[in-house]
Order: sequence, then C-alpha cells, then structure tokens
Amino acid sequence: MTATVERDQVQAIAQEVFAAMIDGDLGLLLPWDGDLPTIDDALVAWVDLHGDWSGRAVLVTANDTALDLARVLLDLDPRDDVSRDDLVDALGEIANVVGGNLKSLLPTPGTLGLPHVGDELPPLDGAVRAHHLPLSWRGRLLVVDVWVTTPLNPKEIP
Amino acid sequence: MIRVLVTDDSRVMRQIVIRTLRQAGYDWDVREAADGAEALAAVQADEPDVVLSDWNMPNMTGIELLRGLRAAGYQTPFGFVTSEGSPEMRQTAEDAGALFLIAKPFTPEAFREVIDPVLA
Repeated sequence: MTATVERDQVQAIAQEVFAAMIDGDLGLLLPWDGDLPTIDDALVAWVDLHGDWSGRAVLVTANDTALDLARVLLDLDPRDDVSRDDLVDALGEIANVVGGNLKSLLPTPGTLGLPHVGDELPPLDGAVRAHHLPLSWRGRLLVVDVWVTTPLNPKEIP
Repeated sequence: MIRVLVTDDSRVMRQIVIRTLRQAGYDWDVREAADGAEALAAVQADEPDVVLSDWNMPNMTGIELLRGLRAAGYQTPFGFVTSEGSPEMRQTAEDAGALFLIAKPFTPEAFREVIDPVLA
C-alpha cells in the first residue's frame, strides 16, 4: 500500500480537493501542528474502494467544521442554517472526491462505492489504517485516513 | 441559449457544477437530475443540448445513462463530471460516446478547456 499510494500523495489530493472545491487557493489545508485535540462531536464521511486494492478513504471533523464546509460548498452566508441532508451531502461529496482521486492513483482498475456519512466509522473487516493525516483547515482539525484491506503486497503494510 | 441537464446524486455537487459553468462564462439554461434514471426520463421528455453527468450514482450510473440514451437513439452531446479520472474510465467513456470527462475537483478553466472545443 505504501508503495502504491504514498502519504504525500494523499495529502496532495486532500489539498487539491480543498483548493479547487472549497478555498479557491492552495495553502488553507495544512498538516496539523501540535497536540491533537479530541473531536467530541465528530462527523465521519467515508467511501470504499473495491478491486485488487480494496480499502476506504475517511474524513473526520467536528460537526461545526463540517457545517462551515457545507456553507462554503453551497455558497451560503456563515450564519445561514444548513440542513442535515445538505451537511451529509457536502461532507460525503468531499470524501467521494478524495476517494475517487485516490483510486485514480492505483495501478489496477477497481470500483468506488457511494459515500456514507455518520457519527462514527463502522469497522471494515481485516482493514488496517495505512495513512493517518491530521490536517488543519483554517486552524480547525480535519483528519484524512486511508484504510486498506487487500494490499498488493502484504509486506507493504506498515 | 444552450440547455444543459446536470446530473449528480449530490445536490451540493450539482450546485458546484452549475456555479462553475457560470464562472466559466456559460450562461446556460440549466435543468437538474438526481440520478441516471431521472436524467434518462428528463431527456426523453425534453431533450437538452448537452448532458453533464456524474458517473457513480444510485439507481442508474452515468455510463448506464449514456448507453441507455444511445440505445434509445438519442445522440445528445454528453460529458462526464466525475471524481474518477483513470485512463480506463476515460476510455470506457469515450467508447460509449462521451465527448469528454472532467475529473473532480475541477476549475472553471478545466470546464472551458474541454467544453469550448465541443461548442466550436
């Protein structure tokens, strides 16, 4: 896995997705610096990848941060209400685009599932977390994780 | 005015696509569909000038929509806007008759790059 998709590539994907879809500029999604705070009211979005390489791309952030992401994506005012449907749609779509770009890096074809959003991540049988990237979006914690269930070479599991 | 049907199961992404079309300078008449089945019905009811569609959707995927349109005799210009831009997907899209595939995330420039030549 690590030889297939490197940590730097995952970070570059996340930064490109945020620059194009959300911020309009690179540089607002950066590696988290310092101790990691606990996310008490987490919202989790994930999309599964199936094929020779199977795994999951995961996005975790606080509910308030997800609300602000949805407002930006929907071009809303910072004080506007966001429905639960739009919140789920917005965070799910970010995970979907991150997962789709991840899939494009894989050497063999596969399929991408539909995005899911919940309060916690359901287990993925036999999966190990291959990458864990705590990031700072405008100073707020946003975690991108990549899980893998069928690495091309078992020795590649870190 | 060009009439476009924007198809994506994500309302958020439909809004982003519509906003990006505007930012790219396309003042088009926009209709929306939430999946391939809805889009197929919308084309059959009133054929647009162009269809922009996501690939991965419930009920009917984008590639099933494109194949369904062609099988039904519709030659509606069709482009994908999808989170997956692998070479094999681009080939599959082209083989089915798609004019282009725009990978998410995208910019207004990326839209103009592939749409302008088709409009010309």
